Amino acid sequence: MPPTVADVSRLLRVLAEHDVRFIVVGGVCAVIHGAPVSTFDLDIVPERSDENAARLLSALASVDAVHRDLAGRSIAPDASRLRGPGHNLFMTRSGPLDILGTIGRGRDFAELESRSRTIDLGDGLAVRVLDLDALIEVKREVAREKDLATLPILVRTLAERRRRGD
Amino acid sequence: MAYNPRVIDPEPLHESVDFSDDGVDLTLIRWMLSLTPAERLRVLESNARSLETLRGAADRR
Repeated sequence: MPPTVADVSRLLRVLAEHDVRFIVVGGVCAVIHGAPVSTFDLDIVPERSDENAARLLSALASVDAVHRDLAGRSIAPDASRLRGPGHNLFMTRSGPLDILGTIGRGRDFAELESRSRTIDLGDGLAVRVLDLDALIEVKREVAREKDLATLPILVRTLAERRRRGD
Repeated sequence: MAYNPRVIDPEPLHESVDFSDDGVDLTLIRWMLSLTPAERLRVLESNARSLETLRGAADRR
């Protein structure tokens, strides 16, 4: 039975080892920036080139990724879908991994890259993470209940970081 | 033992807990910001594992 919470460090390391170009977004992004929120999956926005999709497909195979499917079917990742703008929700040996072609109002890797930075997560692992102000913008664009619920925490975290001169 | 009002009647909590106007616990934010990004990630993973353990224990009851 697969784990129901993500081993985030393991998933990030697998992606990095396969030279996948991606940006960490969502709850893990918020936590890395210091927001006291919880999450059970890892959300990333990958670069959508053919080469990167191939690397991503290889990384997904190494953690036995299959689409999370309500009907219980075991659907393997597909390169053409990984190049698309949609959301691909996977279960892996290291827990849930969501691969999002675009987020918010259709923002993709190319648009978000300039609003992200590489952050050292220790043990030789460094990954590109969306900036906190950009994450807040995206959450406002999406405006689902679950996104709006965490917005005050993100906004206060950003204010506290700015107050500290971070 | 002599009566010590500082022990019996500690400072009211509202003087030491720091919430924003919209109810966000600023002490948690400051604590998280005192950690490195790597440490924050470990906090997240540890919390998720703890919750999973608790949920498993509850399911077995």
